[in-house]
Amino acid sequence: MKSAEAYEHEQGWDFERAAMPYVDSLYNTAYRMTRNSEDAEDLVQETYLKAYKYYDKFEEGTNFKAWLFKIMKNTFINNYRKKKLTPHKIDFSEIEESYERVIQKNAPDLIKDPESEIFQDMMDEDVKRALDTLPHDYKMVVLLADIEGFSYKEIAEILDCPVGTVMSRLYRGRKMLERTLLEYAKKYGYIRSGEPAKMRSRKDETKPKKKSAGTAESLDEPEEAEGEDLELFAADTEEFDFEIEEGQEEEFQLE
Amino acid sequence: MGCDDLRRVAHFYLDGQLGEGKCSDLLRHLEQCKECDDRVVILKRLRLFVRCRLNRLTAPDRLRQRIQSAVNGRIPLSGSL
Repeated sequence: MKSAEAYEHEQGWDFERAAMPYVDSLYNTAYRMTRNSEDAEDLVQETYLKAYKYYDKFEEGTNFKAWLFKIMKNTFINNYRKKKLTPHKIDFSEIEESYERVIQKNAPDLIKDPESEIFQDMMDEDVKRALDTLPHDYKMVVLLADIEGFSYKEIAEILDCPVGTVMSRLYRGRKMLERTLLEYAKKYGYIRSGEPAKMRSRKDETKPKKKSAGTAESLDEPEEAEGEDLELFAADTEEFDFEIEEGQEEEFQLE
Repeated sequence: MGCDDLRRVAHFYLDGQLGEGKCSDLLRHLEQCKECDDRVVILKRLRLFVRCRLNRLTAPDRLRQRIQSAVNGRIPLSGSL
């Protein structure tokens, strides 16, 4: 019979071999969740320690990566969301409308450019910031689906919600993200509506000739005062959180 | 399938999650409607772009070491957990 010590050693080794390949994935998602490397490291470490502690509870044959992500999600909620700010309501019909406006207006430029050069100059920071404008629940599904490649069913398991909720959040989350990216692309001159697609660096950004009356119009006003708008954006990001209410889900028929 | 329906399911199509029947409806629509066809191409590019830009972080070595030390029992697992 194996000694308890030998058994523990073996289990530790087994766990390490199974779990360590996911450390980059977990860290990557943790970083997007916490928005800084120190918290992300702590979150991942705590996730691993919990996973190891409950390793015997893991059901053989189920998805180990999804199991780790679920532990991380729960740990995050327990540790970091206690200090959560009051959720804000989001007007999805407004998002839908402005999305349609921005995509229709820019479609000719976007389609003309098969190598997606339009976005080449966009900074990683912009992409990160665009992602951070999403409410937490929406950001999570987009990350899990589009970056980590989980299926809808796996995401539903990780987040403890129905598949319909995952789809609804994906639908809206992606829409919000795309809208923001297109806004940035336009604002910094990567796409110029009505002109052939061309790229300009931010240094070339001309001074605004006129100021737009309100931020709601900013999609149609590429010459917006840059600094001012970014400040508004940062403030939004800070307090932008949202929870789905019962009955607010959209229905999607896949069959 | 109309343009509005297509817009609702375009992302699910790109995820490969549409049922067979709905998928062929969608493809038939794309053949006839340039606007929707363009849109699907744009969505595909946007998604690829986001994926390229965001999937770059690797865990720092010190984090791997911290985890491995803990799991190998060099640091007691009890305590804060």
